[in-house]
Amino acid sequence: MSQPDLRSELNAPVEPLLPIEKRLIGWSLGIGIVLLVILVALNHFVPIKL
Amino acid sequence: MSDIAVKVSEPIALRARLNEDWLALVIGLLVFALALLSVGGADVLGWAVNTSVYTDVTTALAPIAKAYAWLGGGGALLATYAALLVVLSIGVSTLGADVKKFAIAFTAVFAIAYGSWILGSYAHIAAVTPAEQQKFGIGWSLKLTNEGGYVVALIAGLIIANFIPGLANWLKEAIRPELYIKIAIVILGATVAVTAAGRLNLASSLLLRGAAAIVEAYLIYWAVIYYVARKWFGFSREWSVPLASGISICGVAAAIATGGAIRARPAVPVLVSSLVVVFAVVEVLILPFLAQTFLWQEPLVAGAWIGLAIKTDGAAVAGGGITESLIMAKAAAEGIKYQPGWILATTTTVKIFIDIFIGVWAFVLGYIWTNYIDKGPDKAKPIEIWQRFPKFILGFIFVFAVSMWLALGSTPEIAKALPAAASEANVFRVIFFILTFFSIGVLSDFRKLWQQGFGKLAAVYFVSLFGFVIWVGLLISWLFFSGFKPPLAS
Repeated sequence: MSQPDLRSELNAPVEPLLPIEKRLIGWSLGIGIVLLVILVALNHFVPIKL
Repeated sequence: MSDIAVKVSEPIALRARLNEDWLALVIGLLVFALALLSVGGADVLGWAVNTSVYTDVTTALAPIAKAYAWLGGGGALLATYAALLVVLSIGVSTLGADVKKFAIAFTAVFAIAYGSWILGSYAHIAAVTPAEQQKFGIGWSLKLTNEGGYVVALIAGLIIANFIPGLANWLKEAIRPELYIKIAIVILGATVAVTAAGRLNLASSLLLRGAAAIVEAYLIYWAVIYYVARKWFGFSREWSVPLASGISICGVAAAIATGGAIRARPAVPVLVSSLVVVFAVVEVLILPFLAQTFLWQEPLVAGAWIGLAIKTDGAAVAGGGITESLIMAKAAAEGIKYQPGWILATTTTVKIFIDIFIGVWAFVLGYIWTNYIDKGPDKAKPIEIWQRFPKFILGFIFVFAVSMWLALGSTPEIAKALPAAASEANVFRVIFFILTFFSIGVLSDFRKLWQQGFGKLAAVYFVSLFGFVIWVGLLISWLFFSGFKPPLAS
């Protein structure tokens, strides 16, 4: 297996973010924040029981 | 890990990882099954060595079961070593390892790692309460409990990696932190179940909160870190995906699984994995002590935080163990004695929940990459979810479910005998933890990693971890766990 030359790869031209990558990031964050808010609310109504 | 893994090709690396998962599952289940025999009266693991806190080292070791007291501490240690050597040698032979080299290296690894554990049980290191100090006739102690041995093992590994590289290279056949921790996690299912059976409400509450960990790791951490790696640091997609997965999900396994899913060159996720291990070491050395200092009054927040912040299974779960020992020690010094197991159970539950979805996330990324980024004839297949699923998790779930059923759904006699059986299995869980920590230390040659151009990769990790992951993890842990404490020991 060839070992990647990390130093030279870091100096290569930057790959621009594709629309699908932007959608992946945006949807992940959006769904994540909404779900977290729902879970925090659920946590309020279903507290840990000892 | 980098030296070992870099030399293998992608299909072999993937196959080896999958086989390692199955091997861990088999060995973990074997330990669990043998321990369960004691429920029926056949104590076949009672010879396993157990270490107690000591001032006279000749009293430190003993077999776990009194029925094997005739073996003595030394005999129990030798029996434990021999049993592990035989089982692991057979196991690694299925992975294509050189059994002779493994056996020689494992002998040294076991000796140093277990020696570290024994050192960590020295009363001046491990004794916690004033009563214990009085019992041992000592005036001071680091109060680390005997689980301080994890830190000693880690430091021993780090010393070898950074100051005796020749020895580190000689040991590498037996330096298998992922295998050791996967076996430990399978066995841990019994401990978690027995602990959970005693407090079902809390256990179910912990399971509910695992969902928050999944959301945080996959949907928030991953997206932010991927953006940071791509936009701020200019990394290619091939580097950014394993990097984001390694930092946000669960370290080595996630980096390799998602790297495979996007068809990254095999060396890329492997090099990222080395970085993950290094940072995991740094985190384990720092975070439990921060948790002890700032979160000792919120033990479950601390446990969840460790599970969310430390990104390899081994380091996270063992970090949870260290955190538990440190917090219980501090609480005991303040006159509060918590039941053991809850902080570690919180860390483990959070981590296990995150682990379970690696396969799903690898599939999602594989689907996007094959259909939108690297468009080609290949289509991502649903079976990839199964192929990428960490199989040892099945073992943890199975052991947990069986133990829970035995504790709650069987006869009172079995339920009563189960904790002792789980304790025997737990002896091996502890040993695999020690081997894991020593192995992680041995893999962490800081100078070599720096020479490979890790500075910029490390910068992404540093910025993400200390600028975002730790604090968001703390916030989420606080939101979900603050105000709730482990039950007090009776």
